[in-house]
Amino acid sequence: MGNHYVIVGGSAAGMAAAHTLRKKDKAGIITVLSDEKSPPYFRPMIPYIINGKKKASHITLSGNGMFTEQGIDVRTDTAVSALDTAPKTVTTKSGEAIPYDRLLFATGSRPYMPETIKGLDTKGVFSLKTLADAMAMARRLQDTNHVVMLGGGILNLKAAFAMLEKGIRVTLVVYSPEVLSQLMEPEDAFLIRKALDNAGLEIMTRCSATDVVTDAGGVCAVALSNGKELPCQMVCVGKGVIPNTDFIQKSNIKINKGILVDKHTACNVKDTFAAGDVAVTHDPVTGEKVTTALWTNAVEMGICAGLNMAGIKTRYTGTFGIMNATQVAAEPFVSMGVVHTRNKDVEVYIEKSGHTFRKIVFNKKGTRLIGAVFIGDITNAGMYRYVIREKKPIDRFKSHLISHTLHYGHFM
Amino acid sequence: MPDYKEIFVKTDICTGCNTCKLACAVEHSKTKNLFEAMFETPKPKSRLYVEWVPENTRIPVLCRHCEDAPCINACISGAITRSDQGTVVTDTDKCIGCWTCVMVCPYGVIGRDKALHKAYRCDRCPDLEVPACVASCPTKALVYESVDTFSADRRKAVSKELVTGKGV
Repeated sequence: MGNHYVIVGGSAAGMAAAHTLRKKDKAGIITVLSDEKSPPYFRPMIPYIINGKKKASHITLSGNGMFTEQGIDVRTDTAVSALDTAPKTVTTKSGEAIPYDRLLFATGSRPYMPETIKGLDTKGVFSLKTLADAMAMARRLQDTNHVVMLGGGILNLKAAFAMLEKGIRVTLVVYSPEVLSQLMEPEDAFLIRKALDNAGLEIMTRCSATDVVTDAGGVCAVALSNGKELPCQMVCVGKGVIPNTDFIQKSNIKINKGILVDKHTACNVKDTFAAGDVAVTHDPVTGEKVTTALWTNAVEMGICAGLNMAGIKTRYTGTFGIMNATQVAAEPFVSMGVVHTRNKDVEVYIEKSGHTFRKIVFNKKGTRLIGAVFIGDITNAGMYRYVIREKKPIDRFKSHLISHTLHYGHFM
Repeated sequence: MPDYKEIFVKTDICTGCNTCKLACAVEHSKTKNLFEAMFETPKPKSRLYVEWVPENTRIPVLCRHCEDAPCINACISGAITRSDQGTVVTDTDKCIGCWTCVMVCPYGVIGRDKALHKAYRCDRCPDLEVPACVASCPTKALVYESVDTFSADRRKAVSKELVTGKGV
Protein backbone atom coordinates (compact mmCIF):
# COMPACT_ATOMS: atom_id res chain seq x y z
CA MET A 1 0.00 0.00 0.00
CA GLY A 2 1.17 3.51 -0.80
CA ASN A 3 1.75 6.47 1.42
CA HIS A 4 -1.11 7.99 3.36
CA TYR A 5 -1.10 11.73 2.82
CA VAL A 6 -3.26 13.66 5.23
CA ILE A 7 -4.07 17.28 4.47
CA VAL A 8 -5.70 19.47 7.08
CA GLY A 9 -7.68 22.16 5.29
CA GLY A 10 -9.72 21.91 2.08
CA SER A 11 -9.16 25.25 0.41
CA ALA A 12 -6.57 26.64 -2.02
CA ALA A 13 -3.34 25.30 -0.52
CA GLY A 14 -4.74 21.99 0.69
CA MET A 15 -6.56 21.11 -2.51
CA ALA A 16 -3.69 22.29 -4.74
CA ALA A 17 -1.41 19.97 -2.78
CA ALA A 18 -3.93 17.13 -3.00
CA HIS A 19 -4.30 17.40 -6.77
CA THR A 20 -0.54 17.71 -7.23
CA LEU A 21 0.01 14.62 -5.08
CA ARG A 22 -2.54 12.69 -7.12
CA LYS A 23 -0.74 13.67 -10.35
CA LYS A 24 2.61 12.51 -9.01
CA ASP A 25 1.66 9.55 -6.86
CA LYS A 26 -1.09 7.38 -8.29
CA ALA A 27 -0.88 4.79 -5.50
CA GLY A 28 -0.94 6.93 -2.38
CA ILE A 29 -4.06 7.56 -0.34
CA ILE A 30 -4.95 11.23 -0.07
CA THR A 31 -7.27 12.35 2.70
CA VAL A 32 -8.31 15.98 3.02
CA LEU A 33 -9.92 17.02 6.30
CA SER A 34 -12.00 20.17 5.99
CA ASP A 35 -13.86 21.82 8.84
CA GLU A 36 -16.28 23.42 6.40
CA LYS A 37 -19.63 21.83 5.61
CA SER A 38 -19.49 22.56 1.89
CA PRO A 39 -17.19 20.74 -0.51
CA PRO A 40 -14.14 22.81 -1.59
CA TYR A 41 -14.94 25.95 -3.58
CA PHE A 42 -13.21 28.97 -5.06
CA ARG A 43 -13.13 31.15 -1.96
CA PRO A 44 -12.45 34.48 -3.71
CA MET A 45 -15.79 34.04 -5.47
CA ILE A 46 -17.93 34.26 -2.34
CA PRO A 47 -18.72 37.98 -2.73
CA TYR A 48 -20.84 36.89 -5.73
CA ILE A 49 -22.82 34.60 -3.46
CA ILE A 50 -23.87 37.58 -1.35
CA ASN A 51 -25.58 39.33 -4.23
CA GLY A 52 -26.86 36.15 -5.85
CA LYS A 53 -24.81 36.54 -9.05
CA LYS A 54 -23.39 33.04 -8.47
CA LYS A 55 -24.77 29.98 -6.77
CA ALA A 56 -22.67 27.66 -4.65
CA SER A 57 -22.75 25.13 -7.48
CA HIS A 58 -21.07 27.66 -9.81
CA ILE A 59 -17.97 28.00 -7.69
CA THR A 60 -17.10 24.41 -6.79
CA LEU A 61 -13.43 23.56 -7.06
CA SER A 62 -13.62 20.01 -8.34
CA GLY A 63 -13.11 19.67 -12.08
CA ASN A 64 -12.05 23.28 -12.66
CA GLY A 65 -8.70 24.97 -13.19
CA MET A 66 -5.89 22.78 -11.87
CA PHE A 67 -8.27 20.81 -9.66
CA THR A 68 -9.06 18.08 -12.18
CA GLU A 69 -7.69 14.92 -10.54
CA GLN A 70 -9.83 12.09 -9.20
CA GLY A 71 -9.43 9.85 -6.22
CA ILE A 72 -9.04 12.38 -3.45
CA ASP A 73 -10.98 11.67 -0.30
CA VAL A 74 -12.31 15.00 0.92
CA ARG A 75 -14.01 14.74 4.30
CA THR A 76 -16.08 17.84 4.96
CA ASP A 77 -17.30 18.96 8.38
CA THR A 78 -14.27 17.22 9.90
CA ALA A 79 -12.41 19.59 12.17
CA VAL A 80 -9.09 18.45 13.62
CA SER A 81 -8.55 19.03 17.31
CA ALA A 82 -5.23 17.35 18.12
CA LEU A 83 -1.93 16.40 16.59
CA ASP A 84 0.66 13.86 17.67
CA THR A 85 3.86 13.71 15.66
CA ALA A 86 4.96 10.46 17.39
CA PRO A 87 3.12 8.25 16.61
CA LYS A 88 2.05 10.19 13.58
CA THR A 89 -1.68 10.87 13.98
CA VAL A 90 -4.19 13.67 13.86
CA THR A 91 -7.37 13.42 15.90
CA THR A 92 -10.66 14.83 14.72
CA LYS A 93 -13.08 16.70 16.92
CA SER A 94 -15.30 13.62 17.01
CA GLY A 95 -12.38 11.63 18.44
CA GLU A 96 -11.24 9.65 15.43
CA ALA A 97 -7.47 9.18 15.27
CA ILE A 98 -6.16 9.28 11.70
CA PRO A 99 -2.62 8.04 11.10
CA TYR A 100 -0.50 9.75 8.45
CA ASP A 101 2.74 9.13 6.62
CA ARG A 102 3.03 12.73 5.50
CA LEU A 103 0.98 15.61 6.81
CA LEU A 104 0.19 19.03 5.39
CA PHE A 105 -1.08 21.93 7.44
CA ALA A 106 -3.24 23.99 5.10
CA THR A 107 -5.46 25.30 7.85
CA GLY A 108 -5.70 28.79 6.40
CA SER A 109 -6.62 31.83 8.38
CA ARG A 110 -9.60 33.36 10.08
CA PRO A 111 -10.82 36.95 10.27
CA TYR A 112 -9.25 39.12 12.91
CA MET A 113 -11.98 40.48 15.17
CA PRO A 114 -10.60 43.51 17.06
CA GLU A 115 -11.29 43.43 20.80
CA THR A 116 -11.51 47.22 20.77
CA ILE A 117 -14.91 46.97 19.10
CA LYS A 118 -17.60 45.88 21.54
CA GLY A 119 -20.52 43.73 20.52
CA LEU A 120 -19.04 41.92 17.52
CA ASP A 121 -20.82 38.72 18.56
CA THR A 122 -24.17 40.32 17.78
CA LYS A 123 -26.55 38.88 15.20
CA GLY A 124 -26.04 40.70 11.92
CA VAL A 125 -22.30 41.14 12.39
CA PHE A 126 -20.30 39.17 9.81
CA SER A 127 -16.85 38.71 8.49
CA LEU A 128 -16.66 37.30 5.03
CA LYS A 129 -14.47 34.22 5.04
CA THR A 130 -16.47 31.14 4.15
CA LEU A 131 -19.26 30.19 1.81
CA ALA A 132 -21.44 29.77 4.88
CA ASP A 133 -20.67 33.39 5.88
CA ALA A 134 -21.66 34.60 2.41
CA MET A 135 -24.90 32.64 2.47
CA ALA A 136 -25.76 33.97 5.91
CA MET A 137 -25.04 37.50 4.70
CA ALA A 138 -27.28 36.98 1.68
CA ARG A 139 -30.12 35.95 4.03
CA ARG A 140 -29.63 38.92 6.35
CA LEU A 141 -29.45 41.24 3.35
CA GLN A 142 -33.15 40.65 2.67
CA ASP A 143 -33.99 42.80 5.71
CA THR A 144 -31.14 45.26 5.29
CA ASN A 145 -31.03 48.65 3.66
CA HIS A 146 -27.74 49.91 5.09
CA VAL A 147 -24.51 47.97 5.66
CA VAL A 148 -21.51 49.31 7.54
CA MET A 149 -18.22 47.72 6.57
CA LEU A 150 -15.25 48.01 8.88
CA GLY A 151 -11.91 47.97 7.07
CA GLY A 152 -10.88 49.19 3.62
CA GLY A 153 -9.13 46.11 2.26
CA ILE A 154 -9.72 44.38 -1.03
CA LEU A 155 -12.11 41.75 0.36
CA ASN A 156 -14.34 44.37 1.97
CA LEU A 157 -14.33 46.39 -1.23
CA LYS A 158 -15.41 43.38 -3.26
CA ALA A 159 -18.15 42.59 -0.77
CA ALA A 160 -19.20 46.25 -0.71
CA PHE A 161 -19.64 46.23 -4.48
CA ALA A 162 -21.60 43.02 -4.38
CA MET A 163 -24.07 44.73 -2.07
CA LEU A 164 -24.08 48.08 -3.89
CA GLU A 165 -25.10 46.19 -7.02
CA LYS A 166 -28.18 45.01 -5.16
CA GLY A 167 -29.07 48.62 -4.48
CA ILE A 168 -28.16 48.51 -0.83
CA ARG A 169 -26.53 51.50 0.84
CA VAL A 170 -22.99 50.71 1.96
CA THR A 171 -20.71 52.75 4.19
CA LEU A 172 -17.04 51.80 4.48
CA VAL A 173 -15.35 52.82 7.72
CA VAL A 174 -11.57 52.89 7.36
CA TYR A 175 -9.05 53.59 10.10
CA SER A 176 -6.32 54.43 7.57
CA PRO A 177 -6.22 57.73 5.68
CA GLU A 178 -7.36 55.92 2.51
CA VAL A 179 -8.77 52.61 1.24
CA LEU A 180 -6.44 49.76 0.23
CA SER A 181 -3.68 51.09 2.48
CA GLN A 182 -2.00 47.67 2.50
CA LEU A 183 -1.64 47.74 -1.26
CA MET A 184 -0.71 51.35 -1.96
CA GLU A 185 0.08 54.74 -0.48
CA PRO A 186 -2.97 56.92 0.23
CA GLU A 187 -2.09 59.46 -2.46
CA ASP A 188 -1.59 56.66 -5.02
CA ALA A 189 -5.15 55.42 -4.55
CA PHE A 190 -6.83 58.57 -5.87
CA LEU A 191 -8.19 56.96 -9.06
CA ILE A 192 -9.64 54.06 -7.12
CA ARG A 193 -11.12 56.41 -4.57
CA LYS A 194 -12.71 58.43 -7.36
CA ALA A 195 -14.18 55.26 -8.88
CA LEU A 196 -15.53 54.15 -5.50
CA ASP A 197 -17.07 57.55 -4.85
CA ASN A 198 -18.66 57.55 -8.31
CA ALA A 199 -20.04 54.08 -7.73
CA GLY A 200 -21.92 55.39 -4.71
CA LEU A 201 -19.89 53.82 -1.93
CA GLU A 202 -19.82 56.05 1.14
CA ILE A 203 -16.37 56.12 2.72
CA MET A 204 -15.31 57.46 6.11
CA THR A 205 -11.55 57.47 6.63
CA ARG A 206 -9.41 58.00 9.77
CA CYS A 207 -12.24 56.64 11.79
CA SER A 208 -12.97 53.39 13.62
CA ALA A 209 -15.90 51.64 15.25
CA THR A 210 -16.14 51.42 19.01
CA ASP A 211 -19.46 49.70 19.66
CA VAL A 212 -22.04 47.66 17.86
CA VAL A 213 -25.46 48.90 19.02
CA THR A 214 -28.17 46.25 19.19
CA ASP A 215 -31.90 45.82 19.46
CA ALA A 216 -34.17 42.77 19.34
CA GLY A 217 -33.31 42.10 15.69
CA GLY A 218 -29.56 42.18 16.26
CA VAL A 219 -27.34 45.01 15.12
CA CYS A 220 -29.13 48.35 14.66
CA ALA A 221 -26.23 50.80 14.56
CA VAL A 222 -22.47 51.24 14.82
CA ALA A 223 -20.92 53.81 17.15
CA LEU A 224 -17.78 55.43 15.79
CA SER A 225 -14.67 56.95 17.34
CA ASN A 226 -15.70 60.38 16.03
CA GLY A 227 -18.84 60.31 18.14
CA LYS A 228 -21.19 59.57 15.26
CA GLU A 229 -23.60 56.69 15.18
CA LEU A 230 -24.50 55.01 11.91
CA PRO A 231 -27.89 53.25 11.89
CA CYS A 232 -27.56 49.97 9.97
CA GLN A 233 -28.86 46.42 9.89
CA MET A 234 -25.63 44.68 8.99
CA VAL A 235 -21.93 45.01 9.84
CA CYS A 236 -19.07 43.34 8.00
CA VAL A 237 -15.63 43.19 9.61
CA GLY A 238 -12.66 43.06 7.24
CA LYS A 239 -9.66 43.85 9.40
CA GLY A 240 -7.24 41.27 8.12
CA VAL A 241 -6.74 37.63 9.06
CA ILE A 242 -4.80 35.53 11.53
CA PRO A 243 -3.34 32.07 10.79
CA ASN A 244 -5.25 29.07 12.16
CA THR A 245 -2.78 27.27 14.40
CA ASP A 246 -5.01 26.28 17.34
CA PHE A 247 -4.54 22.51 17.44
CA ILE A 248 -0.93 22.79 16.33
CA GLN A 249 0.14 25.04 19.20
CA LYS A 250 0.24 22.18 21.69
CA SER A 251 2.53 20.13 19.43
CA ASN A 252 6.25 20.35 18.73
CA ILE A 253 5.69 22.16 15.40
CA LYS A 254 7.47 25.50 15.40
CA ILE A 255 5.15 28.48 15.22
CA ASN A 256 5.78 32.18 15.10
CA LYS A 257 2.41 33.72 14.28
CA GLY A 258 2.15 31.18 11.44
CA ILE A 259 3.87 27.83 10.93
CA LEU A 260 7.55 28.13 10.11
CA VAL A 261 8.72 26.22 7.05
CA ASP A 262 12.03 25.75 5.27
CA LYS A 263 12.60 26.49 1.61
CA HIS A 264 10.99 23.18 0.71
CA THR A 265 7.77 23.97 2.61
CA ALA A 266 8.71 21.46 5.34
CA CYS A 267 8.12 22.10 9.05
CA ASN A 268 10.70 21.42 11.75
CA VAL A 269 9.30 17.92 12.40
CA LYS A 270 9.91 15.16 9.83
CA ASP A 271 7.09 14.42 7.37
CA THR A 272 5.12 17.56 8.17
CA PHE A 273 4.61 20.44 5.76
CA ALA A 274 2.69 23.71 5.68
CA ALA A 275 1.31 25.89 2.88
CA GLY A 276 -1.06 28.77 2.30
CA ASP A 277 -2.24 31.46 4.71
CA VAL A 278 -1.02 29.52 7.74
CA ALA A 279 2.59 29.20 6.54
CA VAL A 280 5.28 31.76 7.18
CA THR A 281 7.19 32.20 3.94
CA HIS A 282 9.73 34.70 2.65
CA ASP A 283 9.49 37.70 0.37
CA PRO A 284 12.09 37.36 -2.40
CA VAL A 285 12.29 41.15 -2.73
CA THR A 286 12.71 42.25 0.86
CA GLY A 287 13.96 38.94 2.30
CA GLU A 288 11.47 39.40 5.13
CA LYS A 289 9.34 36.64 6.62
CA VAL A 290 5.75 37.07 5.51
CA THR A 291 2.35 35.49 5.74
CA THR A 292 -0.06 36.32 2.97
CA ALA A 293 -3.74 35.66 2.45
CA LEU A 294 -3.98 35.42 -1.30
CA TRP A 295 -5.61 32.56 -3.21
CA THR A 296 -2.97 32.64 -5.94
CA ASN A 297 -0.11 32.39 -3.45
CA ALA A 298 -1.82 29.59 -1.57
CA VAL A 299 -2.28 27.52 -4.75
CA GLU A 300 1.36 28.03 -5.77
CA MET A 301 2.64 27.07 -2.35
CA GLY A 302 0.22 24.14 -2.13
CA ILE A 303 1.53 22.77 -5.42
CA CYS A 304 5.08 23.12 -4.14
CA ALA A 305 4.19 21.35 -0.89
CA GLY A 306 2.45 18.59 -2.85
CA LEU A 307 5.58 17.98 -4.90
CA ASN A 308 7.77 17.88 -1.81
CA MET A 309 5.37 15.51 -0.05
CA ALA A 310 5.51 13.24 -3.09
CA GLY A 311 9.28 13.16 -2.66
CA ILE A 312 10.09 15.56 -5.51
CA LYS A 313 12.34 18.14 -3.85
CA THR A 314 11.06 21.50 -4.99
CA ARG A 315 12.13 24.88 -3.74
CA TYR A 316 9.41 27.41 -2.99
CA THR A 317 10.29 30.72 -4.58
CA GLY A 318 8.51 32.69 -1.87
CA THR A 319 6.00 35.40 -2.50
CA PHE A 320 5.70 39.13 -2.35
CA GLY A 321 4.22 40.29 0.92
CA ILE A 322 2.20 42.64 -1.22
CA MET A 323 0.59 41.33 -4.36
CA ASN A 324 -2.93 41.60 -5.65
CA ALA A 325 -4.94 42.42 -8.71
CA THR A 326 -8.58 43.14 -9.20
CA GLN A 327 -11.01 45.58 -10.63
CA VAL A 328 -12.97 47.87 -8.32
CA ALA A 329 -15.75 49.77 -10.04
CA ALA A 330 -14.31 50.42 -13.50
CA GLU A 331 -10.69 50.60 -12.36
CA PRO A 332 -8.45 47.56 -12.79
CA PHE A 333 -5.33 47.62 -10.68
CA VAL A 334 -2.27 45.56 -9.81
CA SER A 335 -0.01 46.14 -6.85
CA MET A 336 3.12 44.11 -6.11
CA GLY A 337 6.41 44.18 -4.28
CA VAL A 338 7.64 47.30 -2.52
CA VAL A 339 4.95 49.93 -3.06
CA HIS A 340 5.04 51.95 0.16
CA THR A 341 7.90 54.26 -0.59
CA ARG A 342 7.47 57.16 1.79
CA ASN A 343 10.69 57.81 3.73
CA LYS A 344 12.33 54.88 1.93
CA ASP A 345 15.62 55.21 0.13
CA VAL A 346 14.43 53.95 -3.24
CA GLU A 347 14.15 55.23 -6.80
CA VAL A 348 10.53 55.96 -7.74
CA TYR A 349 8.90 56.89 -11.03
CA ILE A 350 5.29 58.02 -11.03
CA GLU A 351 3.17 58.81 -14.06
CA LYS A 352 -0.43 59.88 -13.61
CA SER A 353 -3.24 60.99 -15.85
CA GLY A 354 -6.98 61.33 -15.42
CA HIS A 355 -7.40 57.66 -16.22
CA THR A 356 -4.20 55.88 -15.32
CA PHE A 357 -1.67 55.77 -12.54
CA ARG A 358 1.66 54.02 -12.68
CA LYS A 359 4.33 53.75 -10.05
CA ILE A 360 7.57 51.92 -10.69
CA VAL A 361 9.94 51.33 -7.77
CA PHE A 362 13.64 50.49 -8.11
CA ASN A 363 16.19 49.80 -5.40
CA LYS A 364 18.36 52.63 -4.08
CA LYS A 365 21.00 52.19 -6.78
CA GLY A 366 18.34 51.96 -9.46
CA THR A 367 19.67 48.61 -10.62
CA ARG A 368 16.77 46.35 -9.73
CA LEU A 369 12.99 46.55 -10.04
CA ILE A 370 11.40 45.97 -6.62
CA GLY A 371 7.79 47.11 -6.91
CA ALA A 372 5.03 48.35 -9.18
CA VAL A 373 1.52 49.76 -8.98
CA PHE A 374 -0.70 50.00 -12.04
CA ILE A 375 -4.16 51.51 -12.00
CA GLY A 376 -6.30 51.82 -15.11
CA ASP A 377 -3.82 50.22 -17.50
CA ILE A 378 -2.45 46.91 -16.20
CA THR A 379 -0.99 45.65 -19.50
CA ASN A 380 1.92 43.23 -19.08
CA ALA A 381 1.83 43.41 -15.28
CA GLY A 382 2.92 39.76 -15.21
CA MET A 383 6.20 40.63 -16.86
CA TYR A 384 6.92 43.17 -14.14
CA ARG A 385 6.19 40.51 -11.55
CA TYR A 386 8.62 38.22 -13.33
CA VAL A 387 11.36 40.88 -13.41
CA ILE A 388 10.87 41.63 -9.70
CA ARG A 389 10.73 38.02 -8.57
CA GLU A 390 13.61 36.73 -10.69
CA LYS A 391 15.71 39.80 -9.79
CA LYS A 392 16.49 40.22 -13.46
CA PRO A 393 19.23 42.62 -14.56
CA ILE A 394 17.37 45.59 -16.00
CA ASP A 395 20.04 47.69 -17.68
CA ARG A 396 18.83 46.64 -21.16
CA PHE A 397 15.20 47.66 -20.65
CA LYS A 398 14.97 49.99 -17.68
CA SER A 399 13.55 52.83 -19.76
CA HIS A 400 10.85 50.46 -21.02
CA LEU A 401 9.97 49.52 -17.46
CA ILE A 402 9.52 53.18 -16.61
CA SER A 403 7.59 54.09 -19.75
CA HIS A 404 5.42 50.93 -19.54
CA THR A 405 6.51 49.72 -22.97
CA LEU A 406 8.11 46.50 -21.79
CA HIS A 407 7.37 43.42 -23.87
CA TYR A 408 8.66 39.89 -24.07
CA GLY A 409 11.11 40.76 -26.82
CA HIS A 410 13.17 42.72 -24.29
CA PHE A 411 14.02 39.51 -22.47
CA MET A 412 15.50 37.91 -25.60
CA MET B 1 2.15 14.72 -22.79
CA PRO B 2 0.56 13.79 -26.12
CA ASP B 3 2.17 15.14 -29.25
CA TYR B 4 0.20 18.37 -29.79
CA LYS B 5 1.01 20.79 -32.53
CA GLU B 6 2.22 24.17 -31.35
CA ILE B 7 2.89 27.53 -32.93
CA PHE B 8 6.61 28.21 -33.36
CA VAL B 9 8.27 31.42 -34.46
CA LYS B 10 11.37 31.54 -36.65
CA THR B 11 12.61 34.90 -35.40
CA ASP B 12 15.28 35.07 -38.11
CA ILE B 13 12.65 35.04 -40.85
CA CYS B 14 9.94 37.31 -39.41
CA THR B 15 9.89 40.70 -41.11
CA GLY B 16 7.36 42.25 -38.75
CA CYS B 17 4.74 42.76 -41.44
CA ASN B 18 1.83 42.24 -38.99
CA THR B 19 -0.15 40.07 -41.41
CA CYS B 20 -0.56 37.50 -38.62
CA LYS B 21 -2.17 40.11 -36.36
CA LEU B 22 -4.67 41.00 -39.02
CA ALA B 23 -5.49 37.36 -39.77
CA CYS B 24 -5.91 36.67 -36.05
CA ALA B 25 -8.30 39.58 -35.56
CA VAL B 26 -10.35 38.54 -38.58
CA GLU B 27 -10.55 34.91 -37.46
CA HIS B 28 -11.79 36.11 -34.06
CA SER B 29 -14.35 38.52 -35.52
CA LYS B 30 -18.05 37.86 -35.88
CA THR B 31 -18.09 37.90 -39.69
CA LYS B 32 -14.63 36.32 -40.25
CA ASN B 33 -14.25 38.57 -43.27
CA LEU B 34 -11.68 41.37 -43.33
CA PHE B 35 -13.85 44.04 -44.89
CA GLU B 36 -16.85 43.46 -42.69
CA ALA B 37 -14.70 42.83 -39.60
CA MET B 38 -13.24 46.33 -39.88
CA PHE B 39 -16.66 47.82 -39.20
CA GLU B 40 -17.65 45.57 -36.31
CA THR B 41 -18.19 46.95 -32.82
CA PRO B 42 -16.44 46.11 -30.64
CA LYS B 43 -13.48 45.98 -32.99
CA PRO B 44 -12.13 42.44 -33.41
CA LYS B 45 -8.94 41.95 -31.44
CA SER B 46 -5.75 40.21 -32.39
CA ARG B 47 -4.57 37.71 -29.83
CA LEU B 48 -0.96 37.87 -30.83
CA TYR B 49 1.41 40.78 -30.69
CA VAL B 50 4.34 41.65 -32.93
CA GLU B 51 7.04 43.30 -30.87
CA TRP B 52 10.14 45.11 -31.98
CA VAL B 53 13.51 44.35 -30.43
CA PRO B 54 16.31 46.76 -31.28
CA GLU B 55 18.19 46.85 -33.60
CA ASN B 56 16.00 45.22 -36.20
CA THR B 57 14.31 42.07 -34.94
CA ARG B 58 10.54 41.66 -34.90
CA ILE B 59 8.94 38.85 -33.02
CA PRO B 60 5.38 37.66 -32.81
CA VAL B 61 4.51 36.91 -29.17
CA LEU B 62 1.51 34.79 -28.24
CA CYS B 63 0.22 32.52 -25.51
CA ARG B 64 2.69 29.64 -25.09
CA HIS B 65 0.03 27.41 -23.53
CA CYS B 66 2.71 26.65 -20.91
CA GLU B 67 3.01 23.11 -19.63
CA ASP B 68 3.13 24.51 -16.10
CA ALA B 69 0.85 27.47 -16.69
CA PRO B 70 0.88 30.10 -13.93
CA CYS B 71 -2.47 31.47 -15.10
CA ILE B 72 -4.27 28.14 -14.51
CA ASN B 73 -2.98 28.06 -10.95
CA ALA B 74 -3.64 31.73 -10.31
CA CYS B 75 -7.20 32.02 -11.60
CA ILE B 76 -9.54 32.68 -8.68
CA SER B 77 -12.72 31.61 -10.45
CA GLY B 78 -11.58 28.31 -11.98
CA ALA B 79 -12.14 29.75 -15.45
CA ILE B 80 -8.83 28.62 -16.92
CA THR B 81 -8.35 24.97 -17.81
CA ARG B 82 -6.25 22.77 -20.08
CA SER B 83 -8.21 21.52 -23.09
CA ASP B 84 -7.95 18.07 -24.65
CA GLN B 85 -5.95 19.70 -27.45
CA GLY B 86 -3.35 20.84 -24.93
CA THR B 87 -4.30 24.51 -25.07
CA VAL B 88 -4.93 26.72 -22.06
CA VAL B 89 -8.47 28.02 -22.34
CA THR B 90 -10.34 30.76 -20.51
CA ASP B 91 -14.04 30.01 -20.08
CA THR B 92 -15.55 33.45 -20.63
CA ASP B 93 -18.71 32.54 -18.73
CA LYS B 94 -16.65 31.87 -15.62
CA CYS B 95 -14.13 34.71 -16.06
CA ILE B 96 -14.96 37.58 -13.73
CA GLY B 97 -12.34 40.00 -15.05
CA CYS B 98 -10.20 40.16 -11.91
CA TRP B 99 -7.03 40.16 -14.06
CA THR B 100 -5.07 37.86 -11.77
CA CYS B 101 -3.99 35.98 -14.93
CA VAL B 102 -2.65 39.23 -16.36
CA MET B 103 -0.73 39.75 -13.13
CA VAL B 104 1.03 36.37 -13.34
CA CYS B 105 1.60 35.81 -17.07
CA PRO B 106 5.34 36.25 -17.66
CA TYR B 107 4.83 36.64 -21.44
CA GLY B 108 2.29 39.45 -21.23
CA VAL B 109 0.02 37.73 -23.74
CA ILE B 110 -3.30 37.77 -21.92
CA GLY B 111 -5.47 40.59 -23.19
CA ARG B 112 -8.16 42.49 -21.37
CA ASP B 113 -11.42 42.94 -23.23
CA LYS B 114 -12.71 46.13 -21.66
CA ALA B 115 -16.12 45.97 -23.29
CA LEU B 116 -16.87 42.41 -22.20
CA HIS B 117 -14.82 42.65 -18.99
CA LYS B 118 -13.17 39.31 -19.81
CA ALA B 119 -9.65 38.09 -20.38
CA TYR B 120 -8.72 36.74 -23.81
CA ARG B 121 -5.76 34.99 -25.39
CA CYS B 122 -4.60 32.82 -28.31
CA ASP B 123 -6.84 29.77 -28.71
CA ARG B 124 -4.82 28.25 -31.58
CA CYS B 125 -7.96 28.55 -33.74
CA PRO B 126 -9.65 25.30 -32.67
CA ASP B 127 -12.00 25.34 -35.70
CA LEU B 128 -9.19 25.56 -38.24
CA GLU B 129 -6.74 22.93 -39.49
CA VAL B 130 -3.92 25.48 -39.25
CA PRO B 131 -4.20 28.59 -37.02
CA ALA B 132 -5.03 31.77 -38.97
CA CYS B 133 -1.76 33.50 -38.09
CA VAL B 134 0.35 30.60 -39.35
CA ALA B 135 -1.68 30.22 -42.53
CA SER B 136 -1.37 33.92 -43.28
CA CYS B 137 2.38 34.34 -42.69
CA PRO B 138 3.90 35.31 -46.07
CA THR B 139 7.47 34.40 -45.06
CA LYS B 140 6.60 31.17 -43.23
CA ALA B 141 8.13 32.54 -40.04
CA LEU B 142 5.22 31.06 -38.11
CA VAL B 143 5.12 27.28 -38.04
CA TYR B 144 2.43 24.95 -36.73
CA GLU B 145 4.08 21.67 -35.82
CA SER B 146 4.66 19.24 -32.98
CA VAL B 147 7.80 19.85 -30.95
CA ASP B 148 9.43 16.70 -32.36
CA THR B 149 8.71 17.55 -35.98
CA PHE B 150 9.78 21.17 -35.55
CA SER B 151 13.09 20.25 -33.94
CA ALA B 152 13.72 17.51 -36.54
CA ASP B 153 13.15 20.08 -39.30
CA ARG B 154 15.52 22.48 -37.61
CA ARG B 155 18.16 19.75 -37.31
CA LYS B 156 17.83 18.94 -41.01
CA ALA B 157 18.12 22.60 -41.94
CA VAL B 158 21.23 23.10 -39.83
CA SER B 159 22.85 19.91 -41.18
CA LYS B 160 22.24 21.07 -44.72
CA GLU B 161 23.76 24.42 -43.84
CA LEU B 162 26.86 22.72 -42.43
CA VAL B 163 27.34 20.52 -45.51
CA THR B 164 26.67 23.09 -48.21
CA GLY B 165 28.08 26.08 -46.38
CA LYS B 166 24.98 28.01 -47.38
CA GLY B 167 22.34 29.50 -45.16
CA VAL B 168 18.86 28.08 -45.46
